[in-house]
Amino acid sequence: MTLLAMLRLETRRLCVQPLAWVLLALSLAWLGWCFTRLLGEFLAGEIQRAAQADGPGYVDLVAVPLLGQLAQLAFLMVPLLGMSTLAGERRNGTLPLLFAAGVPASRIVLGKYLAMLLWLLLWLLLTLAMPLALAHATAPDWGKLAAATLGIVLMLAALAALTLAASAFTAHPAIAAAVALLLGLALWTVNLGAQMAGIDDGAINWLAMSTHEQNLLRGLVSTTDILWFVLLIAVCLALATRRLAAEKERG
Amino acid sequence: MTAVNSAPPPVLQLDHVARRRAGRVAVQDLNLALAPGQVLGLLGVNGAGKSTTLSMIAGALRPDQGTIHLNGEDFLERPELARRLIGWLPERAPVWPELSVAEHLAAHGRLRGLGGAALRETCEAMLARLELQPLARRLAGMLSQGQRQRLGLACALLHRPAVLVLDEPANALDPVQITALRALIREQAAAGTAVILSTHVLVEVTAVCDRVAILHEGRLHHDGPVRADDHAALERRFFEIAMHGATAAARAA
Repeated sequence: MTLLAMLRLETRRLCVQPLAWVLLALSLAWLGWCFTRLLGEFLAGEIQRAAQADGPGYVDLVAVPLLGQLAQLAFLMVPLLGMSTLAGERRNGTLPLLFAAGVPASRIVLGKYLAMLLWLLLWLLLTLAMPLALAHATAPDWGKLAAATLGIVLMLAALAALTLAASAFTAHPAIAAAVALLLGLALWTVNLGAQMAGIDDGAINWLAMSTHEQNLLRGLVSTTDILWFVLLIAVCLALATRRLAAEKERG
Repeated sequence: MTAVNSAPPPVLQLDHVARRRAGRVAVQDLNLALAPGQVLGLLGVNGAGKSTTLSMIAGALRPDQGTIHLNGEDFLERPELARRLIGWLPERAPVWPELSVAEHLAAHGRLRGLGGAALRETCEAMLARLELQPLARRLAGMLSQGQRQRLGLACALLHRPAVLVLDEPANALDPVQITALRALIREQAAAGTAVILSTHVLVEVTAVCDRVAILHEGRLHHDGPVRADDHAALERRFFEIAMHGATAAARAA
């Protein structure tokens, strides 16, 4: 009951924030432009590809690259969208109101997280609608598209959890956004330095978000990759919950 | 034949409650009991521990020591009791600035377990009672401090709590609104709600409270009944306690 109430409150607060709509509109405009560019390139190379029996298709050349663009935008979009979730509550002085309503820290965090996730799923759906609108005219590889979509969902969920955790540790939304952006980028590129130095270590590659995301975008769904995202989400949400519970203890 | 105690059991009871805040003792060894329908005024100079005490009673802050019982149940063991038993108006009445007044009330109601037609009716009644109807669609972030106080009060009363905790509720209210606030407090008390009211204004206590507790440096120095015609005596007692504390501090320095 309190989780639903929290979810409803947070969804409403997101829906009336001009920043959320501005971000959605700007990012969709950019993705729309990317889609027309990708579609143009796809159509231009259609005759050449007709000669190849097993060449890349509509999903490989339009849908997945478009989702790749969305993934790049997500590093900036998710921290900006979620920076105020807990930092803003702290700054407004409304966090004690939630504690006093008997809402446990875990439900505050979960309610805010699910609201953010709903918004991000809307963003993903609107983006996916572009390639799907033309899917009837091609023969899309639905399996590959589903795997790539799963990859993006997991990535958005992980970045949202990371932003929420960053927001739990400060009263300044801008600091929360900066920390979430840096942590997200660091997680993505943690193996880049090692690779540039010629070290191709399995452990450091496993730590990098890019390793797991790229597998899913290629259409490879493995439990290890899903588990990596689930672990990151669980750790971030646990940290945020712990921080809130400690705040109630400490005052 | 055994004598029967007719006094109602306390709805709120604090036993040996203590709390440190920002590295110093904010409240120590506090014992208080509040019966249904009673209005307790909590007085003290700045930093006396009033807001910390009220935050603990409201469930926003956990005591370091001691116990708090609500309707005989251990509040620290069952913090969810706050949802239906406590209504809290914190100092400066914090709001979600992007929500309208009506949305605020609805959100508070849902967090307190209300829903459907009952929630709609209660919200309407509260908007009317606190004269917030003309502001129902206005964003909370655009309200004046006095309007925010009234919104905070409406949110605190929405679920008909057993204990109403008010932290300086008359802040930024005009004289007409203060009179209305006093009437509202008395009305709540008559309906059986226990009210605990923190204020700096002594006349507020004599006007509306049955009992007064005076805190100084986190300790309870006075807890007794108050009469409307007893303003001078209360003022004398308050300054005695406040000055005694200041003298002791000067002596210690």
